[in-house]
Amino acid sequence: MRDEEVDKVLHNAAGVAPRVEAALLKRIADSINSSLRPVRPLPPTWVLTGTLALICAAVAVGAAACTGFYGIGKLSPWERVLIFSTLGILVWVAGKEFVSQLIPGSRQHLSVSAFLTIASAALLGVFALVFRDYHTDHFISAGVTCLLTALLLAIPAAFLSWLLLRRGFAVNALAAGAAAGGLAGLSGVTMLELHCANFQALHVLVWHTAVVPVSAAAGALVAWALRGRCEI
Amino acid sequence: MDSGSNLDTLMARYQAGDFAAATALVECIGPQLHRFFMAQSASRSDADDLLQETWLRIHRVRHTYRPGEPVQPWFYAIARRVRIDHYRRASRTTARERRLEELSDVAAAFPREEAQGDDLETLLAPLAESQREVILMLKVAGMSLEEVARATSCSVGSVKQKVHRAYRNLRDRMNAMGPKKGSSGGLT
Repeated sequence: MRDEEVDKVLHNAAGVAPRVEAALLKRIADSINSSLRPVRPLPPTWVLTGTLALICAAVAVGAAACTGFYGIGKLSPWERVLIFSTLGILVWVAGKEFVSQLIPGSRQHLSVSAFLTIASAALLGVFALVFRDYHTDHFISAGVTCLLTALLLAIPAAFLSWLLLRRGFAVNALAAGAAAGGLAGLSGVTMLELHCANFQALHVLVWHTAVVPVSAAAGALVAWALRGRCEI
Repeated sequence: MDSGSNLDTLMARYQAGDFAAATALVECIGPQLHRFFMAQSASRSDADDLLQETWLRIHRVRHTYRPGEPVQPWFYAIARRVRIDHYRRASRTTARERRLEELSDVAAAFPREEAQGDDLETLLAPLAESQREVILMLKVAGMSLEEVARATSCSVGSVKQKVHRAYRNLRDRMNAMGPKKGSSGGLT
């Protein structure tokens, strides 16, 4: 049997009239018509992505302004360009990923897990290139402080992003939560690069990079916990 | 009524709060979605429930559809998620964790209560869940590979692979049943 014959069988079987009760369709139409109001379609993806990127940048710069720009002050110009352009690209991609999770049936070039892997690898690569001081002091205590600070900062970034896109998420809640967490985590990493003056390679490679996957995991966990309550 | 451009227009009018467009959309897309659920759930009442739940969700997030974008992937992505959520809820309440592939095996082993021998649901019953949904979208909804990829959140290559495997399974089954039955669509 050839594919054309399988096609023909499928076509014949699909031609049988769908069996759905008219009363059911009428009930559905009546129930949605009872609460039907005009809605405004979402703005273009680039507008939403740009707004999310601005939120992340504003939160990171605001927090660094409060705590001090010690980190960026110690970096050379090319190191600043390398680190912050990488972070900018990652924030843009994460924002786009988050927006695509909002819109059912949108084209997804990258899964959330693939994005998180690529983002972590990119950060590791850039940090390995820039930071060469391999001696370590207070590895755990200094690292945990940085991780917690960045994660605390990710909370307002995630909250503001959620405020922007709160009406929606009819599809994969866990992926949306992870994308939001990843985006907010990048905001936290940006703040650390602006503020943290600890340039020991292991500190930056381990603790600064860890912010993104940990924040994404926290985002997925929150989305999972809220899934039933918010019907997302 | 079921062409892509008409659906786009209806969807835009639905977003603008047009009662007639909302009703027309339910009548146009509803049977397709119902069939999508019928082919993947064990009972008609489940399919009815899933259809109602899907429309509630569609209504709640109707602002996320953007005019100009293909409308069928938008509907099917929501329907697919409703089915997955329903399956997970059902798994939790019955405390029976069964894999989707196992479910399709069960469906193949025990004929459906409404099986008529030549309907699409019976024909697709032996396929794995992921293969069945892409065949339904391609052959019943008439979506393109790109649209199916959007609805299922995977790549076009992955969709092609699922279709290829589904066709291979169907071919094997039809060959096993004999050419006479296969060509007339009877596979039970």
